Amino acid sequence: MKLQSKINIRFLAVTFLVFSVAGVLFYFALDKVVNQNIREMLKSRKAYIVLNLQQNPSIIDSLESPDHSIFIKRTEKTVQYTVFSDTMAYDQEEKELVPFRKMTFSVHSGNQHYEVVLLQSLLESEDLQMVIFSFMTVLFGIVLLALFFLNRWLSNKAWTPFFKSLSVLNNWKIGESKVVGFERTGIAEFDQLNHTFENMMQKIQADFVNLKEFTENASHEIQTPLAIIKSKLEMVLQDKTLDDQQHHRIRTAFESTIRLSKLNDSLLLLSKIENRQFVETNKIDICALVRSRLEYLEELFALKQIEVTIHLEKQVKFILNPLLADILINNLLSNALRHNKEKGKIEVKSGNQEIVISNTSERDEIDCSRMFRRFSKQTTLSESNGLGLAIAHEICNSYNLELNYQYINEMHCMTIRQKSQISTNS
Amino acid sequence: MKILVIEDEVVLCETIVAYLEEEGYLCEKANTVELGLEKVNLYEYDCILVDVGLPDGSGLSLVKEVKKCYPETGIIIISAKNSLDDKVSGLDLGADDYLTKPFHLPELNSRIKSVLRRRKFEGRQKLIIDKIIIYPENRLVFVEDDQLPLTRKEFDLLMFFVSNRSRVLTKESIAEHLWGDFADSADSFDFVYSHIKNLRRKLLERTGNDYFQNVYGTGYTFTA
Repeated sequence: MKLQSKINIRFLAVTFLVFSVAGVLFYFALDKVVNQNIREMLKSRKAYIVLNLQQNPSIIDSLESPDHSIFIKRTEKTVQYTVFSDTMAYDQEEKELVPFRKMTFSVHSGNQHYEVVLLQSLLESEDLQMVIFSFMTVLFGIVLLALFFLNRWLSNKAWTPFFKSLSVLNNWKIGESKVVGFERTGIAEFDQLNHTFENMMQKIQADFVNLKEFTENASHEIQTPLAIIKSKLEMVLQDKTLDDQQHHRIRTAFESTIRLSKLNDSLLLLSKIENRQFVETNKIDICALVRSRLEYLEELFALKQIEVTIHLEKQVKFILNPLLADILINNLLSNALRHNKEKGKIEVKSGNQEIVISNTSERDEIDCSRMFRRFSKQTTLSESNGLGLAIAHEICNSYNLELNYQYINEMHCMTIRQKSQISTNS
Repeated sequence: MKILVIEDEVVLCETIVAYLEEEGYLCEKANTVELGLEKVNLYEYDCILVDVGLPDGSGLSLVKEVKKCYPETGIIIISAKNSLDDKVSGLDLGADDYLTKPFHLPELNSRIKSVLRRRKFEGRQKLIIDKIIIYPENRLVFVEDDQLPLTRKEFDLLMFFVSNRSRVLTKESIAEHLWGDFADSADSFDFVYSHIKNLRRKLLERTGNDYFQNVYGTGYTFTA
């Protein structure tokens, strides 16, 4: 939920509450004033009638005004009283029953006693409620509208620095040497936030560079001792006086050293790709590259009796580093060979700015989310170090290419494709 | 034959020297660019092995210097950096070959021999091993005046074995010699085996001698 909507909802609730309470209070206050007025009016009328009756004592028994608002009759009661009450009466003009305030009181005039009834319509007070309610509603509407525009204006104005910072953060790529700066906004909170961001980014950047350098240096430094171990073991293996068991032990150590050395090589390569240390790029004819690599591997295919189908009529050219292009194709083809079965198939196909390398395998579909992860070994083959596809994936990533895995018709398909322009911008 | 090994890692340097001395080369050691240059100016070497990353500078600068003064000296660059840039610039400067660490000693030996052949005998040298005569430049093999037809891989294999006679060559080093980066593709050892089987059979048929020996599970030796 947007902050805007959240604020709006709260505002709406509070405004609604305030307006309802104010409306009710307003109504009661007005009602009281109106009632007071009616009472005052009735009282003044009473005074007038009392005065008139006392000055001109009537001799008639009863008297009613034409609008039924005054009714006077003679009575035997001698008690003094004044009573207010509400009643309903038929209104001629409105042609319906309407509420009335009724005042009943007694008057002495000489030795005569009269009872007077005064009626005052309350219709006006009902009208008043109506007016208040509609006024409040209209006011509520106006306030809401004002609030809406105010918020929009505020969010456009006040939140601009926030969205600017956000876009800076979004565009920031870790590992890029480009220095990211925030503009000064002149608003204390945002400046503080931006300052915190800047510090954080600098720290992240520094840590990242440190880690990168460490990985690279470590791999690099491991290389030499490994070379020594390897060559020493190779020398020992030359010794013809070794017995079988000794030979076997050294042989195992030698094999493991070779594996370690290859692993280290791959890790070093990965970190170099990630560090964008392969600067040179060329337009590489992928089809030609694949063809030459296939030729190179021909004998290995023949040994495993693998049938190779080549459809490379359509030219595919990608822009990338020549060495990495070599490694990419090597890794994918080696993979297709390594995980293939006896008398299996390998198919290489070029399409519209894409190349597909597919192979049969003993294995069924592989979970593609784990496929390109480092060290996610899917087989127990000791020759595989679990980095080949991770390297291929990283190479593709660095050169705006996409490497996808699909399982179609019992073939494991690897597709390299130029990423569309839209997806790069996002 | 005199070889200068310029490598800052002492143990590695000694190992290389030990291996090469067994091959009958006269070896000198240096572990800095300065010392290397000094030795180069004092003596003439047939081949120089130089590490790129030395404590007092890049071995590449030494390559330039050597090429200027002794153009006929063979140079092999050794580097821990598997970088194409190094390789290209090294070869551009006039180095004859490029090897990345860690390498197999027989591989180094075979590269030195090939460089020396090219440098010293302008490739016209013929190798005579028992009844086998090899013309490395033309990639031809004769057994008692009859040409022995070999595939490209079989020829490479024979040269590798001939360069490292009486040595135990591990399956790994053979595979790497034949396929480079592809060596770790599955079954390449089986393929080494089948290539050696073919080569062995061809030589046995023509010469009547079995030059190859199986060494446990490790690899093979070529003796003549």
